[in-house]
Amino acid sequence: MQLATKKAPPANIVLPHYAFASVAFLVLTILLFFSADSFVGHYFNPKLLTLTHIAVLGWGTMIIFGSLYQLLPVILNSELYSNLFARLTFYFWGLGLIILAFSFWTFSIGFTIQLASILLFVAATLFLINIIVTALKAEKLNIQSEFIVTAALWFWITVAIGILMAFNLTYAFLPKEHLFYLKLHAHVGVAGWFLLLIMGAGSKLLPMFLLSTSVNEKKLTTAYYLLNAGIIGFLVDSLFFNGISRAIIYLIIVLAGIIFFISFIYEAYKNRARKDLDIGMKQTFYAFIIISICMISSVLNNVTILKSEAFSQQVTLIFGVSIFIGFISLLIMGQTLKTLPFIVWLNKYQKIAGKGKTPLPKDLYSEKIANWQLRIFIVGFILLLVGILVSTVIFIKIASLLLIVTALLYNFNVLKMLLHKTSVQPFPKNN
Amino acid sequence: MQVYNEENKIEIAVYDSLKRVMDPELGINIVDLGLIYKISYTDENGIHITMTLSTKGCPMSDVIMDQMDSVLSEQFPEVKHHLELTWEPVWNTSFVTPEGKKALGLTF
Repeated sequence: MQLATKKAPPANIVLPHYAFASVAFLVLTILLFFSADSFVGHYFNPKLLTLTHIAVLGWGTMIIFGSLYQLLPVILNSELYSNLFARLTFYFWGLGLIILAFSFWTFSIGFTIQLASILLFVAATLFLINIIVTALKAEKLNIQSEFIVTAALWFWITVAIGILMAFNLTYAFLPKEHLFYLKLHAHVGVAGWFLLLIMGAGSKLLPMFLLSTSVNEKKLTTAYYLLNAGIIGFLVDSLFFNGISRAIIYLIIVLAGIIFFISFIYEAYKNRARKDLDIGMKQTFYAFIIISICMISSVLNNVTILKSEAFSQQVTLIFGVSIFIGFISLLIMGQTLKTLPFIVWLNKYQKIAGKGKTPLPKDLYSEKIANWQLRIFIVGFILLLVGILVSTVIFIKIASLLLIVTALLYNFNVLKMLLHKTSVQPFPKNN
Repeated sequence: MQVYNEENKIEIAVYDSLKRVMDPELGINIVDLGLIYKISYTDENGIHITMTLSTKGCPMSDVIMDQMDSVLSEQFPEVKHHLELTWEPVWNTSFVTPEGKKALGLTF
């Protein structure tokens, strides 16, 4: 008999990650409103750096940490190596992010950014050790765990490049220009950390949520090797053979990997027994539609013939916004409604389920609010893309107001779940 | 799928009581979901249930089995019970009852 959920860490380790991430999302959208003019200039500016790091570290990574601590013991059927490491990772990462965001916003490139990068690096190292040792303890590894462990390794490398860049701002010891390392940092972070992690976790969760009976795992394996080959090729060629101009080759390899993964998900979707998609899964599938915008903009960004300075800036911004505010945010919002109710439900009802009538995980949030959150998000996101394309600040401001409303609605549901009070009714007598 | 002997009152009662056990993710009871393959009862061996889960490594596995333990202990306090998890045959939608199909939105 498997006892998967009993191997997960206590809820008080997992849930603070969700709380922190949802507040980070709200802060992100508010700062977006006050940074609207930054979207019509060069992407390397203090406000956009602040927004990107809040999106990536506070919103995306924080929620990944929390959900992974819950998911990994299930995937590996093995307890998390260290709950203490998980707690320390949360505190170091949270504090590091707050200091980093302050440093970028005020462009304090000295002590504060170095302190922030050290805190983040310590957190990333603790996280990596926790994931690797947990995987080593497992009796059997599978493709999902390989995705997750490799993603954790790329995550650590991304943060390591980040700490080097933070110190390089003051001491300028790196041999190449700062933007070169920024490209490595961003590409390894997006493809190595986010994409591999999303693929690893998604390939386990999505067929399960859809009740898909047969899916071809060979597609996953192919996606895994293509993605890693693309990232390693890009990194090695850029660092040692001055080949950053050949990035398009590695991009195509990574895109091929993404196509294999999307094909896997599509197969799961086609073979699903559960025909009605709930609001969490709807958001997840819209997120996968948005990834096509990311793929197109990433190719455009690398096609030299189309490159004018202004167009290149816009395409880079469209890519960044589509991946962080579009794809990752929508995916997180959707998967929050699939994972958080389950985690809260387990915490409140696991020991009493079967002794009376309990609410179901889906009863722990408001579906109506979640529907409005999705609609407003879609309008806000499209308006944001249009605002960037036509370089119109007022569109970006209206879009960010809509995204603030989205974040407020999302926070309402997260808070509703986190503050849920246990309620058990007796079973009806005739049953 | 006939999962119990229609002449065995205990087996019928077990089948009915297991309708209280919900798959929390799907919101459907495990009987209508077709997770119960066989219920048998004898005075010597007590209740023996052979069952499956919709996915291998399902995170709900222990929640579902804990609920079954609770329901069986409450309904049949004097009878010992044993749950046996099997992956043969692999669960598929043909095991879902008409009520379960309706709840899942299945049209076939």
